[in-house]
Amino acid sequence: MNQLIFDMAAWLDDTAWSTAIHESYYLYNWIEATHVLTLMLSLGILFLIDMRMLGWALPNVSATRLAERLNTPMLIGFVVMFITGILLFYAVPVRSSQSLWFRIKMVLLVVCAVNAYLFHRRMTQSMSTWENAPRAPSELRKGALISLGFWTVIVLCGRFIAYDWYDCEYPQPDMVRALAGCIDGQTRF
Amino acid sequence: MNSATTRQSPIGPYPRAAIATGLLVLLLAFSFSGMRAEVWTALLPFFEWMETTWFGYVGKTWGGAFATIQAGHLVSLGVLGGAVLFSDGRLLGLYSSLPLRDVIDGSHQVFKWALAVVVFTGVFMVCGVAVKVYYLPVFWYKMLALTVGILFAFYVRKPLVDRDLSGVSPLVIKLTAIASIMVWFTVAATGRWIGFS
Repeated sequence: MNQLIFDMAAWLDDTAWSTAIHESYYLYNWIEATHVLTLMLSLGILFLIDMRMLGWALPNVSATRLAERLNTPMLIGFVVMFITGILLFYAVPVRSSQSLWFRIKMVLLVVCAVNAYLFHRRMTQSMSTWENAPRAPSELRKGALISLGFWTVIVLCGRFIAYDWYDCEYPQPDMVRALAGCIDGQTRF
Repeated sequence: MNSATTRQSPIGPYPRAAIATGLLVLLLAFSFSGMRAEVWTALLPFFEWMETTWFGYVGKTWGGAFATIQAGHLVSLGVLGGAVLFSDGRLLGLYSSLPLRDVIDGSHQVFKWALAVVVFTGVFMVCGVAVKVYYLPVFWYKMLALTVGILFAFYVRKPLVDRDLSGVSPLVIKLTAIASIMVWFTVAATGRWIGFS
C-alpha cells in the first residue's frame, strides 16, 4: 500500500503543473494563504454552530435555523479549502503523502465528515422538540464537542506538516517509518 | 428618552466614534511621518527583551509548543472571522430570518473572546521570533491593521449597531459591515504573509 501511494505521489510529482506550483513563490503562497484564510468562513462558522449547540454562544438564536442558514456559506468555505488543499498536496506530493501529520489529518477529516453527516441527520430528525432550547440534546452536544475537538486537532496537524520531525529523509524509529509510509532505500523525498 | 441619551458630549453626538476617528487619523499621520523611524529604533530593545522572556524561551526552544500555539492562533482567528462574517453578513441582509439584535449581540460576545485568544497567542508567537518580525515591514502592517480593527470594532461599529438600526441609513449599515469584513480580512492576510517573509 505504501509503495503504491509512493509511486502515485512520484508520478504526480513528475507532472509539469506540480513543478510549476511548487516552484512559483507567489502561486504557492496564494494557494496556501487562501487555504488558511478560508478557515474564517468554514471553520469559523462551523465552530459558531457547534458552540450554539453546546449553549456557549448565541443562546437567543434558534439553533436549527442558525445551522440551516449558515450551512451554505460554510460549505462554500469547505469546498474552497478542499480545492486549495488538493492543490497544496499536488504541489508537494511525495513529502505530503509521507508526512505522519498529513496522514493523521486525512483520517480525522474522514471522521469529521462522518460526524457531520450523523450530526445533520440527528438534528433534522429531532429539531421540532428543542429548536429554541438554550442547548441541544445530549447526542447532538456530543457531536458538536467531537467536531470542535477533532477540527482543532486537524488544524494542529496542518501546522505540524510544516515541520520535518518525522520526515522519511531522516533516520526514524521503525514505527514512525511504517506509519509515515517510508520506503526502504528511497532516494526521492 | 433616558438621561444617558439626553446628556450631550462636548465633541458631539458620537463621542466614541469621533475619538476613534481622531486616533485613526493620528495613527495614519504617525505612520507616514519621520517620528515612525525614531519610535521604531527605540523599540528594538523591547523586542530583544521579548525574546528573553519565558514565552520567548519556550517559543524558540520547542518547535512543537510554538506550532501548537500557532494552531490555537489559527483556530481563534477562524472563530473571530466566523463571528465577523456572521454578524456583518446579517447587517448586509443575509440570513434575514435570524433576529438581527440577537445575532449582533451574540456574535460580539464570541468576537471578544476570540480576539482575546488571538492577541494572547499572537504575543506568545511574537516573543519566539521577536527580532525577526521587528525587521519585517509586513509585521508592522499587521499591527497597524489590528489596531485599526480593534478601534473600528469597539469605537465605530459597536456604538453604531447598539443603536436602534431602524433609524440608521441602510447604506451606512452596509458600508460599516463591508469595512469591518475588509479590516479583519486585512489583519488575517497580513498575518499569513508574515509566515512567507
